[in-house]
Amino acid sequence: MLTASGTFGYGLEFGDFVDLSRLGGVIVKGISLRPRPGNPPPRLAETPSGLLNAIGLENVGVEKFLTDKLPPLLKRGAVVLVNILGESVEEYGELARILSAEAGIAALEINISCPNVKEGGMAFGTDAAAAARVVAEVRKNTSLPLITKLSPNVTSIAEIARAVVEAGTDIVSCINTVSAMAVDPFSRRPKLANIIGGLSGPAVKPIALRCVYEVVRAVSCPVIGIGGIRTALDALEFLVVGACAVQVGTANFVRPTAALEILDGIERFLRTQGLRAVTDYIGTLDTQCRFPFAEEACPV
Amino acid sequence: MPRVLEKAKILETQREAEGIHRLVLYAPRIVPTARPGQFVMIRVASEGSDPLLSRPFSFHRLHKDDGLFEILLRVVGTGTRILSQRPPGSTLDVVGPLGRGFTPPSGPGETVALVAGGIGIAPLWALLDELTAKTHKNHRDQLYVFYGARTRTELVPLSPLKRLGVSLVVSTDDGSAGEQATVVEALARRHETGMVPLDRLYACGSLPMQVSLARWASGRGILVEMSLESMMACGIGACLGCALPAVDPEDPQAERYVHVCTDGPVFDPGRIRWDKIQPVMARPLTSASPSGL
Repeated sequence: MLTASGTFGYGLEFGDFVDLSRLGGVIVKGISLRPRPGNPPPRLAETPSGLLNAIGLENVGVEKFLTDKLPPLLKRGAVVLVNILGESVEEYGELARILSAEAGIAALEINISCPNVKEGGMAFGTDAAAAARVVAEVRKNTSLPLITKLSPNVTSIAEIARAVVEAGTDIVSCINTVSAMAVDPFSRRPKLANIIGGLSGPAVKPIALRCVYEVVRAVSCPVIGIGGIRTALDALEFLVVGACAVQVGTANFVRPTAALEILDGIERFLRTQGLRAVTDYIGTLDTQCRFPFAEEACPV
Repeated sequence: MPRVLEKAKILETQREAEGIHRLVLYAPRIVPTARPGQFVMIRVASEGSDPLLSRPFSFHRLHKDDGLFEILLRVVGTGTRILSQRPPGSTLDVVGPLGRGFTPPSGPGETVALVAGGIGIAPLWALLDELTAKTHKNHRDQLYVFYGARTRTELVPLSPLKRLGVSLVVSTDDGSAGEQATVVEALARRHETGMVPLDRLYACGSLPMQVSLARWASGRGILVEMSLESMMACGIGACLGCALPAVDPEDPQAERYVHVCTDGPVFDPGRIRWDKIQPVMARPLTSASPSGL
């Protein structure tokens, strides 16, 4: 159980609500070499069961992250994973080098899928060769476990997944937000200053599940499922399809205690199903779909 | 100050004015550390995922001895409509207290004005309760309340305000109650004729009101604090969605943002780049604007 980058701040924001050491890990807000101010507001719009955002990767920059954010987070017993974002292939490598020199970071997650920035971001994640170049450069600069976070905004997510695994990523996570838009019909204006943003929340869960399903079949490395997980049952859908871990994202905004509640719910489910370990459940999807009610005793 | 997630029970709901409802909530873990100007995030949906997000509400009144707080809500969309219809006895998920509240006056020697536009009366009332109980308990005539709305039916009942013994000035855009003026006009008129000398000003209201008050107050040597709003997802500084363009004292041209949830919601208006907010509002449509929809 991980908390998704961009939805859990630097972890410390949730300290009043959550025992951070109980989480599998905290993936902090995407970090860049230099601080980024983010996009002009409005940055958010609510859509049916969804949240549209164009934050623009506002972050304090790697230097301040290491001095101000990482030490208190580690002190609270959190497992810290750092999401990294560069404007060029070289910047990704530089970030990996700087962060690898620091003690206490458990893994890096390469963000090649943010739809809300002009440079870098999704441009790297929607092209297999560019994605592979970023991953290879990061791999050269770190021995930390590497997660690569994939964009759903592609024709074939399986193709990108194969390319980043070949380039040296240890784990693949998917999905980042879905490129989307909302408009006010009265004012005839977009609801976001950036016009286009990234959609998250329960609305994207079926898209995410399909992506995880395809990626699990394309690569042999572990896959982390992300997208619209709000309840334990949502998380279980990803696990049965083959994700070996999940990230909870937008749900953290709605209930700051969401991630741990989902974790407790998964444990309860496994107990009631008589399963000893979650590994007995992961990837056990039976692709033979049956007609609804076909298994129930039929009174006719 | 610890922030908590609490199931708060609705004890009472009351329609106060056209489209404005008051909810009384029992939240004994949130209320003790709450301050005027701070806010809570209230979950709208009791089940399912639509509407997905919580909504921010300022404390309207705080009843510390009873563990109660009140909110005023204006029905503006699906979320606020659902909340306005939740019956007494039901519970709501509430996170709080959040943000920075108002800075109290230094003492009873300060002449203070509270300027409320429409639903903007909500957070100022909690402050007024505090001032009339503490610093200005025996100097209520030094407390001025400017309360305005578009029209009479949008004003909440005035008698409780009048009972507080403060100097109340009511105005409406159409003159249906009080004088025909905006709150900022009503304030400016009295201040400029010397009737109301001011040391400190607290305000909350619509964006146009904020802009005009910020413009009026700048350079007059009055301490101003305004409760501002923005689209917000989490309320605790994680989503970074509730950004407002801000002044960077070291580099006036730099792109800087403050966040309403953690840097505010109460701000010195001098920190806000109103010029970056206002042009968007003033930009004309390319063709005739829609009407009657």
